[in-house]
Amino acid sequence: MGETGAVQRRGLRTFTLFGRRRGGFRLGGHFGPRVRKATFRSVFFAPALLLLLFLVVYPILQTVYLSFMSATGAPTLGNYGAVLSDPETINPNLSWPPPLGTLIHNALWVTIHLPISLLFGLWMALILREVKGSSIVKSAIFLGMVTPMIVGGVILRFLFETGPGIVPSFFDAIGVRSLAVSWLNYRETALLGLIFGSVWLWTGFSLIVYSAGLTTIPQDYFEAAKIDGTPPFRMFFRITLPLLRPMTLVIITMTLLWELKIFDIVYAAAGPTGGTRGSVDVLSLQMFNYFVQGNYNLAAAVATLLTLLTLVATVFLFRRMVRP
Amino acid sequence: MKRRWPKIRLRTIVIHLIAWAVALVWIIPFLGVFSTATRPASEVTFGWWQVNPYHPTLDNFIRALTQPTYSVSKGYLNSLIIAVPGTLVPLFVAALAGYGFSRFSFPMRDYIFLAIVLIMSVPSQMIAIPIFQIMVNLQLVDNQLSLILLHTAWGLPWIILFMRNFFSALPLEVEEAARVDGASDLRIFFRIVLPMAIPAFASAGILQFMWVWNDFFFALILIFNPDKMPATLMVPHLASGQYTTDWGVLTAGSILVLLIPLALYVLLQKYYIRGMIGWTIKG
Amino acid sequence: MATGDSTAATSGGADYVPRKTSTRLIAIIAALLVVTNVITAVGVYYGTVPAKTAETITVIGPWTGSEYAKFLPVLDAFTNATGIRVSYSSARQEDLQLILPVQFAAHRAPGDVVFMVSSFIKTQGPSGTVLDLTNVVDKSAYAGGALDPVTGTNGKIYGAAYTGKVKPGFWYRQSFFTAHSLTPPTTWAQFQTLLSAIKSIPGIVNPIVSGDGVGWPLSDVVEHFIATFGGASMHRNLTAGTQKWNSTAVHDLFANRIVPLLAAGDFSQPLTWDSTAINGWWNNQYALYFMGSWITGMNPPVTDPNDVGVFSLPAQSGITPGIVFGPDFMFIPAYSTKIDAAKQLLRFLASKDGQTVQVKQGGHLATVLGVPASAYPAIDAKVAQTLVGKDVLPDLDDTKGTTFQNNFWSQLKGLWTSPNPAADLNSILDAIQSKA
Repeated sequence: MGETGAVQRRGLRTFTLFGRRRGGFRLGGHFGPRVRKATFRSVFFAPALLLLLFLVVYPILQTVYLSFMSATGAPTLGNYGAVLSDPETINPNLSWPPPLGTLIHNALWVTIHLPISLLFGLWMALILREVKGSSIVKSAIFLGMVTPMIVGGVILRFLFETGPGIVPSFFDAIGVRSLAVSWLNYRETALLGLIFGSVWLWTGFSLIVYSAGLTTIPQDYFEAAKIDGTPPFRMFFRITLPLLRPMTLVIITMTLLWELKIFDIVYAAAGPTGGTRGSVDVLSLQMFNYFVQGNYNLAAAVATLLTLLTLVATVFLFRRMVRP
Repeated sequence: MKRRWPKIRLRTIVIHLIAWAVALVWIIPFLGVFSTATRPASEVTFGWWQVNPYHPTLDNFIRALTQPTYSVSKGYLNSLIIAVPGTLVPLFVAALAGYGFSRFSFPMRDYIFLAIVLIMSVPSQMIAIPIFQIMVNLQLVDNQLSLILLHTAWGLPWIILFMRNFFSALPLEVEEAARVDGASDLRIFFRIVLPMAIPAFASAGILQFMWVWNDFFFALILIFNPDKMPATLMVPHLASGQYTTDWGVLTAGSILVLLIPLALYVLLQKYYIRGMIGWTIKG
Repeated sequence: MATGDSTAATSGGADYVPRKTSTRLIAIIAALLVVTNVITAVGVYYGTVPAKTAETITVIGPWTGSEYAKFLPVLDAFTNATGIRVSYSSARQEDLQLILPVQFAAHRAPGDVVFMVSSFIKTQGPSGTVLDLTNVVDKSAYAGGALDPVTGTNGKIYGAAYTGKVKPGFWYRQSFFTAHSLTPPTTWAQFQTLLSAIKSIPGIVNPIVSGDGVGWPLSDVVEHFIATFGGASMHRNLTAGTQKWNSTAVHDLFANRIVPLLAAGDFSQPLTWDSTAINGWWNNQYALYFMGSWITGMNPPVTDPNDVGVFSLPAQSGITPGIVFGPDFMFIPAYSTKIDAAKQLLRFLASKDGQTVQVKQGGHLATVLGVPASAYPAIDAKVAQTLVGKDVLPDLDDTKGTTFQNNFWSQLKGLWTSPNPAADLNSILDAIQSKA
């Protein structure tokens, strides 16, 4: 790398703060050029490291610490025990409809939302290559990503509410009385309504990422395959899909992160209490409620659990991304 | 030849229909929001698609902007006060650090970098409680400065990653030449590298600005005074506004809050997209 | 990327950015930083501007719209009498549940006089976040027991009572009843007949409309059933915690009175209480609406308050019924910066003079003694009639506190939206009891 070349060159000359090549006044006389270089170079990292240490690293460690402390200050694993055995986290009676527990709700969110938005985004990206005015379609679908999620939650509430909302009226019009209600009030439909609503909000992400990814695939691959007589189906699975793997990885990771952390939408759509009998309660909302009640230790435990989940989910992708 | 032609046409038609149908379905909720925001609330109690009576009005927007306690105009000011420094400062700080990670080598460099990147996967909830306690101790609760500092720190990991990848792709020759001419690291950075990094700043800057503008959770735990609330925090309060559960004011306020990120996206789409996918394609 | 780089590589030093451009860029960046710092400084400055002068205090109340318009004359009367200006800020009590504890933890107060549910005031009292008003409020000026919900176990009074509203029963439109020859029921059997009669009227979706929102409309109607068929004693015992929600008596009340109506579709799905529900009721899509006495002032859509009538559920022999009278309670946060002025406002609102101004406008009942009957408008005479022969009760969930209340509301909504309320009843009552 060029770095080594510069080091070699640097050994030949004397540098000063003012960039003059010859002679010149040396600061920090005792220390060799290497140490001075290091001190000046640390300037590059100092502000970032300071901010990160005080406002990110320390709080993270503090939260972990809090999660292992009881309210009286004694070290304990009780917080985790309390959270994991709380029916609010995992409902012992695991039968539909919700509430099934915040952990299960987040898991459901992932299982339903991730495949749908991923596949639908991919499919639309593939189709839109051949459509005129595709940028308008893409923008229409992407609009949800630009929206602040709190507004997204308000829109979902508006969408599903009897009276002003279009979904209940639609089902009323086609005669499905059971769905012609405020979806967010009914345990059977609340969580699903929000999940499908979030698909509407977030599919734009996978669409855009895949769209960009598709443009990077050189046409020659397809030409060669066509000459060989490969059917389009096989071309898709053998060429397109593997080449799209980095994009798929990113989409999965970002979407997974987003679904585990989901808060704004639920808060706006169902209020801070998590809906009818807790049917849309999620981990971050649970943590927030503990926080407001002053139950910092339990809140910290939930937050740490949440972080463990997100770390596990993302460690794979980030290793790939960090390699230059 | 003759037999192939009609087949392709049918496929194209079907694909176009599907695409446009999807776009239409996707836009319907926004249509509803827009319709409700531009009509008196009484007209939409039973559905915004009811078109008689239809009296377009800007009244809802005005009421959202001038609401006595939770006015969106106050929210805008606060959001700007928070978002502008909350974007520029981390951009600058992260550019420095990203350049350092890219050009300098020192022991443990990659491990430190990995640690910083790992922070990206930590959810905001993880730092909420200690941040609240820190800000109480610094007496910065109900003060925009708390959010500025917080967003600066929180944005650093991903912007550092972004900048580092960007700088790694820049040719070394220009910097080399400057070093040969005797410039110090800092001078190289400010005089040569920064100007070249403007596109990266644009992309990262837009994303960071949108993220700060759209934030709700951090604002929720740090700001309680309606005079200091950013626009996003005002939205839930608009539901119980001057009149009853006023969908008109709520949707109008939502549109106003949505306007800035939307405008940024429309005007600077290229940079936004590049910012989002730029570092994914690099792999 | 690769092809673009090589050109830069070959030209080498020639790509060195000329001095002028780099200076300009640095100037732009510097200007941006200066501007943002100025903006930040402005923001911080406004953040630390000293609070408004002693002439203005802030009162926080839950009222908006027409209700708020009726509160204004009271504040004006206070300003005329004392010269202290009052600025009103609205905040729903559900929001204050979240905001106040966090604000108190940060040693701040959003207002100088705050209206809040009695349970909150009572629990906060001992911790010192709420001012001790034992020497500020005159207990004897009130009807007996009026201040009990805000009196701590140590005997200290932490809040004062303002006017209150009654939740008398089911409201109906006189014109609708006359048009369909309906009369208010005096027995349970008549009530059931009334419901089926209403159901057969074209245009009716459900006989009774259920209000939705954060959840209090459902809890209000359930409390009315409890206070009528379980009696005032059951209501009090449930409030105090001496009766369990999953006990046989309570279970049977739900199973025999409420669940059958739900299963028969006599209640509508929960609809936004102050828009879809009230509009539907006024438009005769629903005949009956359980609400508090403030409904007469909700214009729109109640354009003619004389067209409304109200009846309570028929009392059962041998059981003394109760009726929920919910006063609005207020307190002074300890972190207020204008304690003296706040005390003056509180005293005024708790006085005969202050409450008379409010009561004159209708829909409110005074909690303090000495307000003449002539001060009340005619509509309230109907409301007063429903109080005859009944015990006055405090609002159950307001008294029990947030944890119970949020869960109670959530479970009741679950009962209302359940496809099989009879089957879910046991688990719902258990869940309610778990946070009681």
